[in-house]
Amino acid sequence: MKKEIRHVWFFPHPTEAIWEYLTDSELLSQWLMKNDFKPVVGHQFSFKSSPYPAIEFDGNVYCKVLEISAPKKISYSWKFGPGNGETIIDSLVVWTLTPKDGGTELLLVHSGFTDLRQIPAYDAMNAGWQTNINKIHGLIATKEKNETTIH
Amino acid sequence: MKLQSTDPFQAIGDSNRRLMLRLLSKESLTINSLAQHFDMTRPAVSKHVKILYTAGFITIQDMGRERHCTLNQKGFHELQSWIDYFDQFWQTRLKKLEDLLNKKTKK
Repeated sequence: MKKEIRHVWFFPHPTEAIWEYLTDSELLSQWLMKNDFKPVVGHQFSFKSSPYPAIEFDGNVYCKVLEISAPKKISYSWKFGPGNGETIIDSLVVWTLTPKDGGTELLLVHSGFTDLRQIPAYDAMNAGWQTNINKIHGLIATKEKNETTIH
Repeated sequence: MKLQSTDPFQAIGDSNRRLMLRLLSKESLTINSLAQHFDMTRPAVSKHVKILYTAGFITIQDMGRERHCTLNQKGFHELQSWIDYFDQFWQTRLKKLEDLLNKKTKK
């Protein structure tokens, strides 16, 4: 059973164009969040958005660039908490770009729910997750023009 | 009035409480036997147990002089809201990126 978020999108644009929107701080802020991102491995940065107290999210995401392989792959850590300096979720975001006929396939995997995985019961009790995954598959299916590569 | 509840995210934000959940995922335990696994005072253990209880992760049952702790589904279901939130978050942000790129191409 998976405990991660996956999205696959097809863009009818060259890989370089998508890459720019993923790695340029100003372009990134236009669709994701305000940030001080730099495409440098080891660079620590943050995203700033609105707080969502219901899930103990103060609106700040603390990140560190872990991997950059232009224009194919980028990954960073993704930590957040309620705003008292505590990290509640320490997760991982990985973007993968694959050239496809007439465009680019972008895969997002948001994973690494470390703390939850340490609790075995989480598996058994989290029956709702599979429903969620199926929902995502449904959304992807309507989006994708090519054959799906996820499983 | 219901008992004031604790946020499940706050409840699992502590390594002692996560260990308590792991121990309880194997078997139900009394607070006393749970306390044997930790180098802390009995009141400190009770405090953590209370937080897990108010966050919906465990139920507590009095049996004679002992209090038995058992894992409860409620807290785990609430954790799902975190995944749901970011799932939706990415979905809307990627749509925004798509719109941006399409607009740029049309120019």
